[in-house]
Amino acid sequence: MELAVQLIVFGTLMGLVFAFISLGLSLIFGVMNIVNFAHGEFLMVGMYVALLTSTYLPLDPLVSLPFAGAVGFLLGVLSYRFLIQYILRGPMVAQLFGTFGLMLFLRYLVMFIFGPDVRSLSHGLIVGKSVSLGYVTIDVSKIVGAVLCLMLFAVVYWMINKTRLGRALRATSLDPEAARYMGIDTEKMNALAWGIGGATVGIAGGLLAHFYYITPTIGMVFIMIAFATVALGGFGSISGAFLAGLIIGLIQVVGGQYLSELKFTFIYLTYFLAVVFRPRGLFGW
Amino acid sequence: MGRILRDIFSFADRPLSERIAFVIFLIIVLAFPWMVKPAYAKVVMIKFLLFAMFGLGWNLIGGYGGQVDLGQAKNVGFGAYATALMMLHWNIPFWLTILPGMMFATAESFAVAYPMFRLRGHYFAIATLCVALVWKELFVFWDWTGGARGVEIPIKATPDFTYMQFGETGYHYFIFGLFMAQFLFMNWFRKSRLGYELMAVRDNEDAAESLGINVTATKVKAYCIAAALGAMGGSFITAYYLYIDPDLVMPMDLSILIAMTVMVGGSGSIWGPIIGAAILIPLDMYLGAWLAGGGRYGIDFMIYSFIIMIIAAREPKGIWGIVERVRKRR
Repeated sequence: MELAVQLIVFGTLMGLVFAFISLGLSLIFGVMNIVNFAHGEFLMVGMYVALLTSTYLPLDPLVSLPFAGAVGFLLGVLSYRFLIQYILRGPMVAQLFGTFGLMLFLRYLVMFIFGPDVRSLSHGLIVGKSVSLGYVTIDVSKIVGAVLCLMLFAVVYWMINKTRLGRALRATSLDPEAARYMGIDTEKMNALAWGIGGATVGIAGGLLAHFYYITPTIGMVFIMIAFATVALGGFGSISGAFLAGLIIGLIQVVGGQYLSELKFTFIYLTYFLAVVFRPRGLFGW
Repeated sequence: MGRILRDIFSFADRPLSERIAFVIFLIIVLAFPWMVKPAYAKVVMIKFLLFAMFGLGWNLIGGYGGQVDLGQAKNVGFGAYATALMMLHWNIPFWLTILPGMMFATAESFAVAYPMFRLRGHYFAIATLCVALVWKELFVFWDWTGGARGVEIPIKATPDFTYMQFGETGYHYFIFGLFMAQFLFMNWFRKSRLGYELMAVRDNEDAAESLGINVTATKVKAYCIAAALGAMGGSFITAYYLYIDPDLVMPMDLSILIAMTVMVGGSGSIWGPIIGAAILIPLDMYLGAWLAGGGRYGIDFMIYSFIIMIIAAREPKGIWGIVERVRKRR
């Protein structure tokens, strides 16, 4: 019983973070039908931003979140302007290898600058503290991270569904040509989708840095989680990504409890089973 | 029979300049151990031949088939582990372990291929990545395969032909033999019925289907053959390094490197894998080693990925694509 409550709580908290990480991937896919392999690397850059601001500036790592978001936004827009724009015109293979190349480039750029060492945040307002709630003892950083992810997810969801800008984005994703006739600058919308994708995942990285180790190769782990989440929720579906994130969080935590060496195997298998047997996802159209 | 033999050895469909270049390439490779003194250069040459061979196998599914397989490392691992475990546990001579490794890789690929080829494009690529990662985690987890520690092959006191242990020159000619076998196989394959069917499927699936080609069966066959070719290289890795672990023979980086080699050289061309490996492997071995000596990691992969991004954005057909365009213009 105790264990069950603990697993559900941890799974839900991780799930909220996973959902927020996958949001940008799903958005980019929805708008221009391209899978961003570099998404996990954007997350890793966000983690390093949090690490650097808290190491070299007299700031709490929580304050670094806007920086992480800004860096992520910039990274997304620049990637679009200098790479994605061109590979979108090419065949599918080129698109795949283009974002793949971007992923490797960012990973090894960070490795070149900071070396391959594993680091973690050493100090901060919510780092290393925990609270007891009835059955379970939880890290404060996980609670804060999950709650912030939930709130930011809601903000982005609202932005996409209720604002004028969001409507233009959705129009672009439904039919780019028709959107152009309506006077929407679709190029700008594509760049914006990359910007939002980068910003959300950058902030997620800043939050994740509070309770996860930081290394240049960490992106790989999270890109696979994000792929599984997006596949399970339905590629391009944002509400689907939210629910799938929670499911993946539970799978990962429960799997990690009983077979810790194979906890990622369950996630890979989830992707595989999801795309093979239900390609439109649990909540896809 | 005569037709098959002619298809294997004939390059009549390629221009004379290419045939001459290939003969020069063969002479250089054959004379290499006698002409070049530094030991490190010989190691680079062996690795180049190995990756050119991996590229040939990947080119079958990724280039001629147009299916981006990011999990070729699992097949390399199957071959390497089949050889290592059979030699270690049952003392079976090396030569008898190549075929079981290839057969296992083929069988596994056949088992996962049908669900996998319900997918296209990105979905397929990520699925191959997932399958390869699952296998790697299983090999790390499983005690009989040595887990994360890997498998070590006992070293023989004297050069031994049955267990394939000899000097650097021996390995050079051994890998050259394997490479040539695969190269000639690919030369036959690209002119075979299956090869043409595969290219038709790549270029237009619907049109191929309307001509009576079984699209899924064609892809599955190609996927299985590519797996077998990859496993053959894996067996060589075991014989050459005498030590393997999942991080050496099954990592995702290996899958990527194999695919990149072909992408850079030119996918769907018989020369592509050789050109790609000739560029990327020396780059890795010299630049990477030089920089790692100074405590700097990763710049070789940065250069790789930069090349890949430029090729993806500007010339999806790779370096061979540039060559063909220049030739067409003249």
